[in-house]
Amino acid sequence: MNRKSLNQLLHSHHREAFIWSRQCCGFDSDLAKDVLQLTYLKILEGKATLNEASKAKTWLFSIIRYTAIDELRKAGKMITWDENHELVDVPEEVDGTDYDAIIKLLPAMQQQVILMVFYHQMTIEQSAEVLKIQLGTARTHYARGKKKLKELILKSQTEANHGKRRTDRKLL
Amino acid sequence: MENDELIESFFKDMRQADQNLDIPAFPVSKTRKTNWFIPVGVAASMLLVGFLFFEKEPEVKAPAEVIIITLEQGPNHEQQFKIEESTYLETWESSTSSLLTEF
Repeated sequence: MNRKSLNQLLHSHHREAFIWSRQCCGFDSDLAKDVLQLTYLKILEGKATLNEASKAKTWLFSIIRYTAIDELRKAGKMITWDENHELVDVPEEVDGTDYDAIIKLLPAMQQQVILMVFYHQMTIEQSAEVLKIQLGTARTHYARGKKKLKELILKSQTEANHGKRRTDRKLL
Repeated sequence: MENDELIESFFKDMRQADQNLDIPAFPVSKTRKTNWFIPVGVAASMLLVGFLFFEKEPEVKAPAEVIIITLEQGPNHEQQFKIEESTYLETWESSTSSLLTEF
């Protein structure tokens, strides 16, 4: 693939690539910009080559993810990528409109599988390719992540309803 | 299925909220025009050097005409040179052939 085609491909995925970069950087927009720049450099300098044009999105997401891991390490912001890591401190109150904060309550691997499937409309197989894990493992993260996210959403909804009732009572 | 609807609705709202995100402009890769001049300049210099060093020396062509110098004996037994110009040699006699016949 020549430089012009690569440029066009990157341009067409730019918005989604930035959002994915941000999601990989713990929703830090500034770091996400740097990560995306570095990713484009790697690609245009030929350090990362695309073998199958049909897998462009998976390939781009994978490079962004690894670049983000490197940059997070350099910035001293360690993220636990352990596949079995399940420890998440769930706060007593969850704001249902703070979507980033709710996603951050999931373990890293679950976050990424869930984001790729539900946010970026990718398949579990594609997410397994991006994360370089077995399909079975990706499916486990998907199922656990979905279950945990549902609990968090329900919790935030319940809290929102309670808050509403409290204000209704005060008004009466 | 109900789970998926709840989650899908969550992500639909999340995507909507992300519409307000400040997306950086796509970096335009600059095509450096000066890059063209460097290889062209190097190639031109090499051609010039090659032309100067490997220029063929002009070939020295033999004159089209042949000069025939013969030593003849005159009527008073004196030796005299006879110089003729011709395009070809009709006869050729070795300069030492007289030595063979004299002895």
